Amino acid sequence: MSRRWSTLAWQIAIGLALLAVWQWGWLVNSRVPWLVPSILDPYFVSTPSQIWDEFLRLSCLKPGGGDWIGWNDGSFPRCLTKAQNNLWIATAVTLRNTLFGFLTGVSSGVVFGLLLGRSDRLSEIFLPYIVAANSIPRIALAPLIILAFGIGAVSKVVTAWLIVVFLVFFNTFEGARSVDRDHVNAARLLGASEWQITRTVTIPSTMAWVFASLTPAISFALIGVIVGEFIGAEHGIGRMIIEAEARGEAAGMMVAIFVLMIVGVVLAAGVRRLQTYLLRWRPSQQVAT
Amino acid sequence: MQRGRVRIEVKGLDKSFDVDGRPLKVVDGVSFTIREGEFVALLGPSGSGKSTILNMIATLLGSSGGEIEIDGEAIVTNRPRRNVGYVFQKDSLFPWRTVAGNIGYALELIGVAAGERRDRVEKAIADAGLKGFDDFYPASLSGGMRQRVALMRTLIVRPEILLMDEPFGALDTHTKLEMHEVLLRLWDRQKQTVLFVTHDLGEALTLADRIILLSARPGRLKQDFDVPFARPRNAVTLRETAEYGALFSRIWHSLGEEFARGAAP
Repeated sequence: MSRRWSTLAWQIAIGLALLAVWQWGWLVNSRVPWLVPSILDPYFVSTPSQIWDEFLRLSCLKPGGGDWIGWNDGSFPRCLTKAQNNLWIATAVTLRNTLFGFLTGVSSGVVFGLLLGRSDRLSEIFLPYIVAANSIPRIALAPLIILAFGIGAVSKVVTAWLIVVFLVFFNTFEGARSVDRDHVNAARLLGASEWQITRTVTIPSTMAWVFASLTPAISFALIGVIVGEFIGAEHGIGRMIIEAEARGEAAGMMVAIFVLMIVGVVLAAGVRRLQTYLLRWRPSQQVAT
Repeated sequence: MQRGRVRIEVKGLDKSFDVDGRPLKVVDGVSFTIREGEFVALLGPSGSGKSTILNMIATLLGSSGGEIEIDGEAIVTNRPRRNVGYVFQKDSLFPWRTVAGNIGYALELIGVAAGERRDRVEKAIADAGLKGFDDFYPASLSGGMRQRVALMRTLIVRPEILLMDEPFGALDTHTKLEMHEVLLRLWDRQKQTVLFVTHDLGEALTLADRIILLSARPGRLKQDFDVPFARPRNAVTLRETAEYGALFSRIWHSLGEEFARGAAP
């Protein structure tokens, strides 16, 4: 058996063992309490089978709790329109707000970073303010943002934006400051004007720094949106977690958490692919995550 | 070999750098003239200020005194002249551009149409012996190939004056000889006016019509040698001739004194 297969076998075995402990561990607790920690109480963490059932219910695949959806009798679309915050809507809303926050954060971070990175005067004036603002934990601002922008999508995008913009700004700023003098001189000696130097040297070499910040940026955007949804929202996965918590339903929270995990993995993988493509000219992929 | 009009005129050039608050003189009253079509090597031990002189002529660096004129006009710092090309010591290719993208860069700047640009870049790639490498990024090329790209990137706009700052300094002996062949072949077609900085006497003798020898720091003009070998030259066989050997030992003696002076505490 090759090493790869043996690794895979171990991974599956460990996963199954963890699931088994999660599913049946609490049964053992009633007989030998000292062996099983009380965190395994299904009231706190639910069980895999309950989570699966809850997933089917929240996703309208088994809306009644009993039968699988009948595509013919139209119960799936009925459930989708009836349930305020079903899993599909919640995921779509959270995903959309995350992407908007990410895109606005990255683009404005790049613009500010280039502006200040290229101008000693501007950075002299503004840097203290930026450093001060950056040292505020952005999460602390979330309630304020909800107050100002309401419980709709805008407040979530703004929260995500606030987190992403600083990260991308500092990366861009550093990148714009560390442009290789020789590249600038080479461009100038080849006849480039100041604007052409900015466009053909500063921006491309800064982009390497910007791209390196994209993977953390997308994760941070997701965090920002979820926190915003915790505090006040109508839709979204964060909202789903809060609803389940209010009802004391661990299974509902677990479904939302698993969906978030998948969303996080997919987003990060997508950004990493983009990054690898954009930085294909680099000798060795030294991409910070 | 006093032919043609004066292209580069350097008069009483001085340069001092500030080192820990004290001025350090690296170039001291250097004067020389380079005429149309001459290939001149600026030779000296390290610290003789040869690259500094070149960078001042290239307008990358301001002088502390003296004058530099190109085609009879005083130069202005950071205002490179259109007809002057420069090849760097360090490989300064844009790593995010392919071979073709690097070579075509200067053409993009002046807005040459894409079709014409492609033709000219293709020709330059063939001239440099880089066929098939159009889409490679610099990171995947050898040092010699990168310098070929750098050379073509500069030559593609057909500069009349070429400033070269130890362009082959980082290459191994064999690759260096290859590059000499490439450069001699390309230079023979256009006969640009060249100022080539080097500390390698063999390189200077292979390429140049004239060798300007600088003293150890502070760089002063020490001697000016004519290199009368016939052209076209072969970078390999030239070194086997008696004339090469004779001139080599003459200049080597003078250069050796400067190496010794530069090494003395």
